[in-house]
Amino acid sequence: MSHAASGEGIGQPIRRREDMRLITGKGQFSDDMNLPGQTYAVFLRAPHAHARIGAIDTAAALKMPGVLAVLTGKDLLADGLKPIPHTPLLAHPAEIIPENTDGTPVFTAPHYPLATDKVRFVGEAVAIVVATSIAAAKDGAEAIAIDYEPLPAVTDTVAAAAPDAPQLWDQHSNVALDARLGDAAATAAAFKRAAHVVKFKTWVQRITGVPMEPRAALSEYDPQTKRYMLHAGSGGAVRLKNDLATVLGVPSDDVRVLMYDVGGNFGTRGMIYPEFAAVAWAARRVGKPVKWLCERHEAFLCDYQGRDLAVEAELALDRDGTFLAMRGSNIGNAGAHTTNFSPLQKGVEIASSIYRMPAADFRARAVLSNTAPTRPYRSAGRPEVMYVMERLIDLACRDFGFDRVEIRRRNLIAPSELPYTNPFGMTYDSGHYREVMDRALKEGDWDGFPARRAEARARGKYRGIAVANYVDTATGQPRERTDITIRRDGVIDVVIGTVSNGQGHETTFAQCINEWFAVPVDKVNIITHDTDIVKVGGGTHSGRGMRLASYVMKIASDEIVEKGKRIAAHLLQAKPAEIDFTDGHFRVTGSNRSVGLFEVAAAALDQSDLPGELRGPLTATCDKVVKEAAFPYGAHVCEVEIDPVMGNVEIVKYTTVDDVGRAVNPMIIHGQTHGGIAQGVGQALLEHCAYNAADGQLMSGSFMDYAMPRADDFPFFDTFISEVPMPSHPLGIRPAGEGGTCPALAVTVNAIVDALADLGVRHVEMPATPERIWRAINGKKDVSIAKAEG
Amino acid sequence: MYAFDYHQPKSVDEAAQMLGAKPEPKLLAGGMSLLPTLKLRLAQYTDLVDLSAIDSIKGIERDGDALVIGAMTRHVEVATSDTVKRAIPALTTLAGGIGDPLVRNRGTMGGSIANADPAADYPSAVLGLGATVITDKRQIAGDDFFKGLFETALEPGEIVMAVRYPVPLQAAYIKYPNPASRFALVGVFVARTAAGVRVAVTGAGPCVFRLTDAEALLAKNFSAAALENFTVKPDGLNADIHATAEYRAHAVAVMLKRAVAAAGGNT
Ligand SMILES: Cc1cc2nc3c(=O)[nH]c(=O)nc-3n(C[C@H](O)[C@H](O)[C@H](O)COP(=O)(O)OP(=O)(O)OC[C@H]3O[C@@H](n4cnc5c(N)ncnc54)[C@H](O)[C@@H]3O)c2cc1C
Repeated sequence: MSHAASGEGIGQPIRRREDMRLITGKGQFSDDMNLPGQTYAVFLRAPHAHARIGAIDTAAALKMPGVLAVLTGKDLLADGLKPIPHTPLLAHPAEIIPENTDGTPVFTAPHYPLATDKVRFVGEAVAIVVATSIAAAKDGAEAIAIDYEPLPAVTDTVAAAAPDAPQLWDQHSNVALDARLGDAAATAAAFKRAAHVVKFKTWVQRITGVPMEPRAALSEYDPQTKRYMLHAGSGGAVRLKNDLATVLGVPSDDVRVLMYDVGGNFGTRGMIYPEFAAVAWAARRVGKPVKWLCERHEAFLCDYQGRDLAVEAELALDRDGTFLAMRGSNIGNAGAHTTNFSPLQKGVEIASSIYRMPAADFRARAVLSNTAPTRPYRSAGRPEVMYVMERLIDLACRDFGFDRVEIRRRNLIAPSELPYTNPFGMTYDSGHYREVMDRALKEGDWDGFPARRAEARARGKYRGIAVANYVDTATGQPRERTDITIRRDGVIDVVIGTVSNGQGHETTFAQCINEWFAVPVDKVNIITHDTDIVKVGGGTHSGRGMRLASYVMKIASDEIVEKGKRIAAHLLQAKPAEIDFTDGHFRVTGSNRSVGLFEVAAAALDQSDLPGELRGPLTATCDKVVKEAAFPYGAHVCEVEIDPVMGNVEIVKYTTVDDVGRAVNPMIIHGQTHGGIAQGVGQALLEHCAYNAADGQLMSGSFMDYAMPRADDFPFFDTFISEVPMPSHPLGIRPAGEGGTCPALAVTVNAIVDALADLGVRHVEMPATPERIWRAINGKKDVSIAKAEG
Repeated sequence: MYAFDYHQPKSVDEAAQMLGAKPEPKLLAGGMSLLPTLKLRLAQYTDLVDLSAIDSIKGIERDGDALVIGAMTRHVEVATSDTVKRAIPALTTLAGGIGDPLVRNRGTMGGSIANADPAADYPSAVLGLGATVITDKRQIAGDDFFKGLFETALEPGEIVMAVRYPVPLQAAYIKYPNPASRFALVGVFVARTAAGVRVAVTGAGPCVFRLTDAEALLAKNFSAAALENFTVKPDGLNADIHATAEYRAHAVAVMLKRAVAAAGGNT
C-alpha cells in the first residue's frame, strides 16, 4: 500500500496514536514508576522570602518512626555536590548575546539543590527527609528546627533593580546583566526628527506553567556499577542526564535518565530541578530507591515560573505613520537564581517584530529578586515584546489618528525585502507577512465588525476588535541526533533526542517516516526515553522538536535509502543507479523486479555474499548542528464583548493564521494553537503569580487563587494554517508550538482597549481582570493586585 | 494527612455517641472541604465520623409551606430535584452552580453550612430564606446560625440533620464567581416570603450577612427600580488579590438588582 493510500504521511490530520494510551490511564508518568524497597522523600521549604540560615537541628526528626535520613545544605557541601550548571544566556549561533555595558562578566549565582547560606524565596528547599512513607517523611520534616534570621525581601521587578534594594547575593548587586542593544545614536537622531512619538510603560506579569502532571522523581543508586538512575520528566533526557551528573560530580555516563510520558512542560519544566539532584543524592546516601512527588501547592511555590518583564518603550513615527525607530528598557525578573535570561534576550532581539524598523536602542537588565526562579515559558520573551510592539502601534493610532490596519500594512516587511536584518541584528529569512495578516482580517471578518459593534451596543455591551502580528525566533539547543534502524520484523526504530511533553511526537515523527518509507505509522518506534540509548539530543523547546527531528530524520532516511539501493542492486543484480525507491520497495527501473525495504534489511543481516560495508543492520545516524534560527510568524484577530457594569470580558471570536512552513499534521497543529491561545489569553485576562510585596509570601499558591483559563472562557477558535516553506529547512518546516501564544496577549488587550475606546480607556494592565476594566471605565486608579490587600 | 481512626455509624445517635466518646473527633460529610485541610496537615483529628451511611439525614421533602433537605443530601441531588425546582428554583440554581460535577457529586448541604466558608453559596439561602437549621439537639433560626468566618452556632458534637426552607413567593440567587476558585466573589440571595423580603449576601464579607436597608426598599416595592440609587459601602468587606472591597461593594449592588430581576420583581 502506498503511503498516499494509507493516508498517514506528511500533511495528513491523523489521530494521535498516543491518545488511547493516555486517556485510558495507561500512560507511564514518572510517578507511575515504582521500585522494590523504595523510600519516600519530602522537602522542607523556606517559610521566609529572604533569611540567613542559622543552626539546623535535625535530631528530633531523625528519631521520628520511619525516618531514614535528614539531609541539609551543609551535608550537600560536605559531600561535594556542585551547583546546578546554569547558562542563563542562549549561545545559539543565530542569537544576539547581550553583554554588560561595563564590560564585566554576566553574574551567575551558585544554585545548590538545597539552600546552603540563605533562603532567597518562599518555598526554596532547605532539607530533604527520606522515610519509609510520605507521612513519616512529613512527620520528620515537621520535627526539624531551623534558626532563621529574616532579612528584608524584594519581589517587585523594578524595585529589585534599585540600588538600595535588599541584595540577594553578597557577591553581586541584584542586576545580574545590564546590556544595551541596537544603535543609540541612530535611534536618538530618528526620534529627533519624528513627527510623532508614542510611549508605553507596562509590566508583563509573572505566571507559571501549571503542567497537568506535577513533577516527580524516582532514583536509585547502584553501588556495584556506581551509577545513578533517575526517572523524571523534563524537556529533554540528555540535558537532564548531563546536568545531574554535573551536580553529583560524576561522569555523565554514570547517570541514566528515564522518561516515558511527560504531562506538560511549556518551558517551566525545561531543565533540571534542584529536587531531582537531591533525590538522586539521597538515594545513594540511604542505599535505597527514593521517590518524590511534588504536591500542587509546592508546584505553585517552586516550579520555575515565567514572564515577569517590566517595560518602558517608545515608538517614533513620521507624519505618514512610517516607523522610524523604537527605544526603551526591559527588566526581566530572574527570581532568586540566575537560572535563565533568555526571555529577556529573546525579548529584546525581536522587539521590532516583523515591521520595518530602521533603528532601535534598548537597555536590557536581568534582576534577581526574592521570588521563584524564572525560565522561558511558552514562547519565552516573544509574547512579551509582541505585546509591547502591538500596544505601541494601537496607541499611536489612537493618539495620532492612523488606521490600525493601514499602519500595519505600511510597516510590515515585504517579501522582496527578505532576508531582513532587524535593528538588533536578527535576520528574518522568509515570510508573506502582509498576505497572512490580510487573510486573518478576512477570516475574522474585520470589515463586518462595525455592524457587530452596533448590535452589541444596542444590547448594552461594548464590543472591540484587534489584530496583532508576531514573529517567533526559534533557536534553542542547536544539535540533534537520530539513529534510524530498519528491523527485519517490519518495524523501524527511530532513536531521537527530543522528548514529547504532550505534543504528539509519536504520531508526527512517525508520519515523516511513513512518508519516506511507506510503513504504517504503527510500525514506527519512536525511542526517546532512555539516555542509555539516546546519547545526544537537545530535547523539546524553542520550537525545535519537529523542526530538528525532521531535519535529522530526513538526512538519515536518505542515507538508508542510498544504502538500501546498493543492497537491492546486489540482490536484484542491477546497478545502484538503476534502482528506484518508491512505496517501500526498491525496483529496477523499467522492470517488475523489486525487493521490499524489510527484505533488504534482512538480507543485510543474513547474506554473507554482500560486500562487507553493506552487511549488518540497515541503519543510519545523523548528528547535526543546525545553525539557522527559524521564524514562524502569523496574525491573530480577537473580538471581545465587555459588560460595562461589571467589567467582564467575553471573547466572542478568535481567528488565527499561523505560518508553519509545512504542516506535518494539521490537526495537531490546530491543537497546539488552541492550547497556545488559552495560555496567552490566560495571561491577558486571568493568571498571575502574586507575591505580597511586603513579606514576599506567594498569595496565589493554589487553584483557589491562581486563575487558570477554562474551556468555558473561550469561543470555538477559527485557526488557519499558512504554509510558506522555510528556506533553510530541508522540508520547509517552521515550528508550530508557540504561535498560539505569541500575539495572544497583544491582541486580547488591544481588543479590550478598542472596546472601551469610546469610554476614554487608553490602557488596561494584565491580567485585565473585571475589576481593572471597571476601574478604567470609571476613571478610578488601577490598584495593583499585590497592593489590593487590606 | 495525619493518622486518624475512621468510623461509619448507622444512626445519628450512634454518631453523637462517638463524638462524645472520642478525644478529638470530627464529622465527615462529602469531605470536599475537610479532606483538603487534612491533606495539607492544616488540621489534626483523632477520629473521623463519616455520616454517609445514615439514611435518615438524606433526602428532599416538601412539607407544607416548607422544603426540608437532609444534611447529607448531595449538591447534585438538590440541583436535579423536581421537588426543589417546583418549590424553590433559586436553590436549584444555587446548588447547580457549586464547584464542578465532581464536587457536586460529593459535597453536601449540611457540610456546606456547617463549614460556613465566607464564599460558600448555601449560607446565603439559609439566611436569605430565613430557614431553620435542625440539629440533633435543637432548632436554630437561620439568623442565629452563622457567627463569623468559618464559625457557626453549632456546639461541639452537635450534628446538623436537616434544614427547613420556607417556600418563598419569589426568590433568586445570583452568583458572581471568583475567577480562580469559582466560589462566590459575591453572591446575593433575595427572597420575598410571607414574612417579608430578605436579602442575604455571601462572599463579600467575613460571614454571610443581610442587607437590611435593601430589604426595606424592596419591601415597599419589590423591583430593581426600587434599587436604582442603592449602593453598598465597602467598609468591612473582603479585599484580596481577586477584588478590592470597593469592587465587591459595587458587585453586591449589581448582583442584588440582577437577583431581583431574576426573581421576577416588577420592572
Ligand atoms: C473544587 C471545589 C470547588 C468548590 N466550589 C464551591 C462553590 O462554588 N460554592 C460552594 O458553596 N462551595 C464550593 N465548594 C465546597 C463544597 O460545596 C463542599 O462540599 C462544602 O463546602 C462542604 O461540604 P462537604 O459535604 O464536602 O463537607 P465536609 O468537607 O465533609 O465537611 C465540612 C465541615 O462540615 C462539618 N460537617 C459536615 N457535615 C456536618 C453535619 N451534618 N453536622 C455538623 N457538621 C458537619 C465537618 O465536620 C467539616 O468541619 C467547593 C469545593 C471544592 C473542593
